[in-house]
Amino acid sequence: MGETSDEPPLLAALDGGVLTLTLNRPERLNAMSRELIGLMIEQLDRALGESTIRAVLITGAGRGFCAGADLAGTGTGAVGADGKPDLGAVMDRLYNPMIRAIRELPKPVIAAVNGVAAGGGANLALACDIVLAARSARFDQAFVRISLIPDLGGTWFLPHMVGDARARALGMLGASVPAEEAERMGMIWQAVEDRELMPQAAGLAHRLAAGPTLSYAAIKRALGAAATNALDRQLDLERDSQRALGRSADFREGVAAFLAKRPAAFTGQ
Amino acid sequence: MTYEKIILAKSDGLATLTLNAPDKLNAVSRKMIAELKECWETLATDSTVRAVLLTGAGRGFCAGADLADPDRDSSATADSGAALDKFFNPVIRSMRAIPKPIVAAVNGVAAGVGMSFAMAADIAIAGKSASFLQAFARIGLMPDGGSTWFLPRLVGDARARGLAMLAPQIPAEQARQWGLIWDVVEDADLMNTATEVARKLADGPTLSLARIKDAMNRASGNTISAQLDVERDFQRELGKSADFKEGVAAFLAKRKPTFKGK
Repeated sequence: MGETSDEPPLLAALDGGVLTLTLNRPERLNAMSRELIGLMIEQLDRALGESTIRAVLITGAGRGFCAGADLAGTGTGAVGADGKPDLGAVMDRLYNPMIRAIRELPKPVIAAVNGVAAGGGANLALACDIVLAARSARFDQAFVRISLIPDLGGTWFLPHMVGDARARALGMLGASVPAEEAERMGMIWQAVEDRELMPQAAGLAHRLAAGPTLSYAAIKRALGAAATNALDRQLDLERDSQRALGRSADFREGVAAFLAKRPAAFTGQ
Repeated sequence: MTYEKIILAKSDGLATLTLNAPDKLNAVSRKMIAELKECWETLATDSTVRAVLLTGAGRGFCAGADLADPDRDSSATADSGAALDKFFNPVIRSMRAIPKPIVAAVNGVAAGVGMSFAMAADIAIAGKSASFLQAFARIGLMPDGGSTWFLPRLVGDARARGLAMLAPQIPAEQARQWGLIWDVVEDADLMNTATEVARKLADGPTLSLARIKDAMNRASGNTISAQLDVERDFQRELGKSADFKEGVAAFLAKRKPTFKGK
């Protein structure tokens, strides 16, 4: 297990503005232990604080992306006063803060789904802004098979990504969706050949890290708000965000580059 | 009012609104957006108009805001929110609120706010060679003209993020597959097909079409329970219309209905 071996359960590497976080419990298909999630939250905090980090890439070591909570280990958490398991406690303390940290990070987060993404592992991937998956990867809402509901945002992500009809079926049938079908449904951005996954995901992450970071942050905020806003309110939000972006150095650079027909050199300012 | 950057033509209940700056792929200048605002406001209350067809002159639909517009404030202190507040947002609000169907015939590139115009229409039909582009992030902005609201509702959250952040140019056929637009036809057939659709709507039960639009607008913020009440209220109202009476009579007599929009 990650905790008992010398290897930390999460690897973090910063290169050219991209913070790559690798779930690293390959012998357990990167099932999430409490230690792993704790480290994930720590690194997402770091990404929030360090201005040199302009994009985050999340992937898994070995042949899986993430098999969900570590049911055999420490992933499920506490026991309540009634002597029964209290799954809500660990969600409150670890899983939900991790998902919120991804969605609220004012920088793009890319998932490179290299293999099975099951249960919470699937929804960890869906929380990311741009999801690339290897053709052999699968997205598996396994929860119903152990009498739970999709968590880590699954009941929100699914209807907002694939529509209500498919969301109900995926949740209730616990279907396992191959990467290409996930792309066709609009659950993920793109399925790519297995050997192309890491080069393409890294390329995308570096491209975004060299992009107009404030613009990406505003897009994340706006799309987050869009789900519950009326169009009328959303138009006001766009006005306010656009006003702020219109005063940024990257906007000046973007327009100058567009008019001069040259590539823009964005600084994230 | 006479327009310079748009053309408005009316015929038997159908208004055709053409963006008319073909040398700039119909990029939206201050002048054009001011004219559009005025035009949509007029169309909303013009009882002789029962449907609107929106298209672009020349080979583009609309290339988005005109960055080379001499009227654009390009100083470092420019307020890009002001133009949205004064012109662009009122146009989008008018398009969604006008109690008549809008058909967009997307005859070429629909970029930036031009793509927002296509999405704000009720029925978008594109020529095969048309394309769609959320160009905003390429110049350090975010999608506007309602795009951050339309995109997740039309293509879902995952694709919305990809389209907004990565700003790829997507062909009409992919836009159709993703549910971004209603249909794609051969370029040569676009104006005929779109005009036929718009004509059918202009001759249709206008009150019903207006309430369909209104109900769909409300659905995205309503619970199913609240929406059932909306449907009840609208249906009650429509049940009292002349077009409902005509529709039922025509159905029972197995003849074509003649709707008046009343």
